[in-house]
Amino acid sequence: MKKLLSAPALFAGAGICLIAGLLLAFWWAPADASSMGFSQKIFYYHAPIAEVALLAFGVAFAAAIAYLRTQNLKWDRLGLVSIRIGLLFSILVMLTGMIWGKAAWDAWWAWEPRLTTFLLVCFLYAAYWVLRSVVDEDQRRATYAAVFAIIAFIDVPITFFATRFLPEGLHPVVIQAGDSGMESSMLVSFLISMLGMTLLLVALIRRDLEIEELKDRVTDLKTSLGG
Amino acid sequence: MSIEEGVKYVASAYAIILAVLIIYYFMSARRVSALQRDVALLEDEAKRRQAPAGQAGVE
Repeated sequence: MKKLLSAPALFAGAGICLIAGLLLAFWWAPADASSMGFSQKIFYYHAPIAEVALLAFGVAFAAAIAYLRTQNLKWDRLGLVSIRIGLLFSILVMLTGMIWGKAAWDAWWAWEPRLTTFLLVCFLYAAYWVLRSVVDEDQRRATYAAVFAIIAFIDVPITFFATRFLPEGLHPVVIQAGDSGMESSMLVSFLISMLGMTLLLVALIRRDLEIEELKDRVTDLKTSLGG
Repeated sequence: MSIEEGVKYVASAYAIILAVLIIYYFMSARRVSALQRDVALLEDEAKRRQAPAGQAGVE
């Protein structure tokens, strides 16, 4: 079980699912019947990346609460790496979303609810990095970062539900409660890509946690060696 | 929208995703290796410094 959850095994699983999802999306799932046509294929990675980015911020939110309850710095490390990877995925969402927007609406950007709230998420979590960089003492930095991560997370459900509560926006709502809004071949391709992205998120978090632990070990050893 | 136009957008989107993810994967792998090397070097140095002190204690 431990071997199955190791970073290399998770990366391999993610790679297999992502390649399978891509192949199914291009060779099995039909082209969208709407005006988007072939460019709708962007959806099979764009939507899973967006959901996994929000999931990463959810992990950071849970880690922030755990840190404030226990004052254990391992939760601060988990929050830090989750936000780092969440931001990486968010940047990908913004870039692929702009390409999607150009294909669907003939505009790289539109100030509509989903896009605007997602951009706000990116700015909020970018500010998290600024906050971390200005506080030196470990426990104080972790406390401020945890409080900020909890406040920033307020925008995550707003982003997720923006298209549902404000349907006049341009961004489509594909999946709704009780209705996937897709043909079965599209849904299977989407779910396999979603699984791949989730495994990739877990693998990247594991590896980045290892990096943070090694950095701490280097700092401790340097301190014990007197410089 | 024509298929040719659609292909252009789809290819750009997937190229960006794959490039960013692959670059991040290799950067983090390199970082882990470099840090593991640093830890090994520092641990060797710590052992080396402890050894004469231990020997001095025995003598």
